[in-house]
Amino acid sequence: MKKILSSLLLFQILAGLLIAQEWTVPADKKGRLSPFPFSDSIRKAGLQLYSLNCMSCHGTPGKGNFQALVPPPGDPATDKIQHNADGELFYKVSEGRGQMPSFKNTLASKDIWTIVSYIRSFNPAYVQSVMPEITSGAYSGAVIALSLLLNPSRDSVMLKASAIRGNSVVPVTGAGVKLFVRRTFGLLPLDEEKTTNDQGMAFFPVPSDLPGDTAGKIQVSARFTDEDQFGPVSKDTLLQVGLKIEPVSLVKDRAMWNVVRKAPWWIILTYSLGVLVVWGFILLVLLKLRDIYIIGEHIDSVGAKKNES
Amino acid sequence: MNSQDQIPGLEQEKIDSLSADILRPVRINKSFLLWITFLFLALIICLYVYSIQLRKGLGVTGLRDITSWGMYIANFVFFVASSLVGMLISCVLGLIGFRWVTPIARIAEIVAVAFAAVAGLVIISDMGRPDRLPYVFLYGRVQSPILWDVTVVTTYFVLSLLLWFLPMIPDIAVARTRLQNRPSLLVKVYGILSFKWVHHPEQYKILNQAVKILIILIIPTALAIHTVTSWLFAVTPRAGWDSTIFGPYFVSGAFVSGTSALLIAMYFFRTNFRLQSYITDYHFERVARLLFLVSVVYLYFNLNEFLVPAYKMKKFDAFHIHELFAGHYAFAFWLVQLGGLVIPIFLLIFRFMRKPLPLLVISIFMFTASWLKRYLIVVPPQGHPYLPVQYVPQEWMVYKPTLIESTITLATFILVLIIITLLSKFFPVVPIVETAREESDQEAKSHEKH
Amino acid sequence: MGEKKKNKKPEETEIQSIVESSRREFLKNASITGAAVVTGAAAVIAGFRHERAKKKGEYVKVLTTDNKLVKVPVEEVEGYQMGLKELQERGRVGIKGKRWIWVIDLSKCRNARKCIEACQSAHHLRPYEYHINTLVMQESVNTPAYFMPKPCQHCDNPPCVSVCPVDATFKRQDGPVLIDNERCIGCRFCMAACPYSARIFHWQDPKDAETDKGKEYNVELNIPQRKGTISKCLMSCDRLRENKLPYCVSSCPNGVYYFGDENEDAVTNGTTKETVRLSELLEKNGGYRLMAELGTKPRIYYLPPKNRIFDFEKDRPEEKDFII
Repeated sequence: MKKILSSLLLFQILAGLLIAQEWTVPADKKGRLSPFPFSDSIRKAGLQLYSLNCMSCHGTPGKGNFQALVPPPGDPATDKIQHNADGELFYKVSEGRGQMPSFKNTLASKDIWTIVSYIRSFNPAYVQSVMPEITSGAYSGAVIALSLLLNPSRDSVMLKASAIRGNSVVPVTGAGVKLFVRRTFGLLPLDEEKTTNDQGMAFFPVPSDLPGDTAGKIQVSARFTDEDQFGPVSKDTLLQVGLKIEPVSLVKDRAMWNVVRKAPWWIILTYSLGVLVVWGFILLVLLKLRDIYIIGEHIDSVGAKKNES
Repeated sequence: MNSQDQIPGLEQEKIDSLSADILRPVRINKSFLLWITFLFLALIICLYVYSIQLRKGLGVTGLRDITSWGMYIANFVFFVASSLVGMLISCVLGLIGFRWVTPIARIAEIVAVAFAAVAGLVIISDMGRPDRLPYVFLYGRVQSPILWDVTVVTTYFVLSLLLWFLPMIPDIAVARTRLQNRPSLLVKVYGILSFKWVHHPEQYKILNQAVKILIILIIPTALAIHTVTSWLFAVTPRAGWDSTIFGPYFVSGAFVSGTSALLIAMYFFRTNFRLQSYITDYHFERVARLLFLVSVVYLYFNLNEFLVPAYKMKKFDAFHIHELFAGHYAFAFWLVQLGGLVIPIFLLIFRFMRKPLPLLVISIFMFTASWLKRYLIVVPPQGHPYLPVQYVPQEWMVYKPTLIESTITLATFILVLIIITLLSKFFPVVPIVETAREESDQEAKSHEKH
Repeated sequence: MGEKKKNKKPEETEIQSIVESSRREFLKNASITGAAVVTGAAAVIAGFRHERAKKKGEYVKVLTTDNKLVKVPVEEVEGYQMGLKELQERGRVGIKGKRWIWVIDLSKCRNARKCIEACQSAHHLRPYEYHINTLVMQESVNTPAYFMPKPCQHCDNPPCVSVCPVDATFKRQDGPVLIDNERCIGCRFCMAACPYSARIFHWQDPKDAETDKGKEYNVELNIPQRKGTISKCLMSCDRLRENKLPYCVSSCPNGVYYFGDENEDAVTNGTTKETVRLSELLEKNGGYRLMAELGTKPRIYYLPPKNRIFDFEKDRPEEKDFII
């Protein structure tokens, strides 16, 4: 019995290790820390976000009522999840894997940290260490700005990141940047993430078949990958990089399914003509009925006169 | 006698003897009062049942999202079908020149008027919001077969009514002078409806023109009503309805149900109104031949409608064919096809089967089968939509008409009977003047031969 | 006999002339009445048009916080409750410049039925009244079984709209096929015509008939639902007006749905909020439309159920689960 139990335990550990091995977090992301301390109000907000985004698979923490999926999602209150460093938790929620969806487009990084704070509330041994400074040391005190410039050949966009401190402008180098196209429901990434060169510049190729507005303009948006380091700096601008799209209404043509004003001509004509002809003849028949009446009336009056005389 | 009764070219005695026979049943007697009271009482009960449906919604029927058209629509199709006989008898045969249709033409028109009038009401019983019926006229979409159907059914009803009424004007004039002892209101109505008819030759000329216009007009309209009714189904992409021969298939089927309805009505009027000398065995024999002909044509269309998809067995057609041939609807299907079509056709071959009584039995079978056939056309194709039916309540799976539904359907038949009763009790069912003319023509002919 | 005929002749011509003169008179009168009716109708229509034109440019005077009296268009006043007429008109016109498009990735659907719940709660429906339903599909024993979410396909050649007798259901310029239950007469022709079984009918009082009483009817939300009328998937047009994803799309836990604007060639996943190019998504995954052979031109695209990351057989419902 003991043997079986211990072997089971071993198996579980092995399986756990296996899964843990499968999902390794890059070293630079592992050490990432929350920019703000976890407070009760934050944990409360975390509960809200957790029940909205995580509960359907992970269940209520501490209850072990997570979904039976492969691999199992696990209960956040258990060691399996609590042994992760803050940065690991942040990374996993943000990127997702397999059946676990990625939340980086759904939730802001502040929200993800808020969820982490809620998960940590089930670990009595946890002591938080907060990120010492919000802005990166290299540019501390500077205003970080992004600018965008369209290449004259219109096939690429140049992004420039600079740090402005007083009168001096320094290029922000080695920073991860992304360029998006603004679409109705979200941001469409253009190409991969780029790193700014030593002049603070990154170049994004623009596909030639991207639809724009009627004038071919597209709203683009540039951001830093690591918002925690540079703050929520973004740059939105309209660029003449898209195809000119003249939106065509789906209901402009005459069709069987369109409203009656836009019915096909042939059907309007056939129907109206048919009705007019048939009812015209019916009217003619009624007129004839009237003629019969008039004749009868006339004969009657003649007869009456005759009787009188 | 009034001088107005002088009909040019006809002997007075002939009119006298004919109108004595034909106008005899045109009166209010005890049995009529009893019958019509019974009908109205039954109708009132049914109307109460309809008020339940109005209050609670169509949920009181067996209809659900899977089968959303059921008995009401089948009944509607059947009513439209049965009304088609008016056009077949008095127009097609009349135009071709068959003189024997004269005494039964009006009965055919009465059947047509009654069924066409009630068909419109049947469709209202199927509406979720009957209070919005005026929307069809206010916002009508010219692309929708329903608008076409409403248009042609209304037109056909008006045409049938005119075609029943116009040729009857001389008879009403005859009745006006002879039925003075009837209730004063009725006499007044005869006075108004006779349109100052004085049997003047010019009046006859105009009347003949008018009737000729109607006869020609009603043929395309009648074809249109049933073709359009078939399109209510054929324009949808459902297996079992998605057929190109639905128009002629429905029209030929309509002739079967209409002719059998006519035979039943003929038998009834002949015995109850004692019109044996006008609606003779010869007329039954003729109509039986007609019934044979239209049934064979209908059988031919059935063959096309079922053999072609059954040969190919396309996925969803195969479901449909299976349901009918060997599945849930097999019993009803074979009953209709054999009992209502194949066996009657076989029986009609024999002369002794073309006598009034056997014809009545055969016609009742065919008439009932025609109703059931409409049910089999409307209901089964909805039971197997293209996409599977899942996560729905059990009772949605198979459509079963409820008692309320059946009662409301019964009400429509009661209405038909009421209309037929009223039209036949207040107006002559056999043309007086036309029959007289017919007879004197024949007498003249036989005179010449001698 | 011959004599009689001769005598009759003048009488006959007299009768004909009487009939003709009377008919002339009648036709004259009739044409005058006809002309009057036509003019009257034209005047009424012109009046109606004028009223409508007036309505569009209606302004109200509003007192601002700094005590200034300003004139603003009536529909821009915050808290302004739109009337039925305006809601209907807005719902029928649709959103200019858009062409909503929907991609459903069958490889991700595990029948969580969250989309159905969200939809039913938004549109006040009972658990068995579906604007969207997920079905278990399997063509033959050798082909894979899979879950298929099935909303209205919002066809560009909608057979249901073609057959509607009263313009109650209609196609909008931006794609969705909607239903106006203030117009619907309940004939259910559209249900008969829809090959996707996408429509439902209120056979009885709708779920929240009592609590929704008195609410102004919004075509884009189809609330209040009405007994005796049709209801159907509305592509959450009320949400689209606020640039939000449809109820079902944003409630899917498995990333099944992508939704977007065809004009922008971009769709956004409702779960991950990831935005991708529509053309690329369809091309890479072999997108297709449901029963395209019927020529209905659906607005919904499906991605085939390949490379699934879960075991379908484990999630497969039993036959008895299909009855609720």
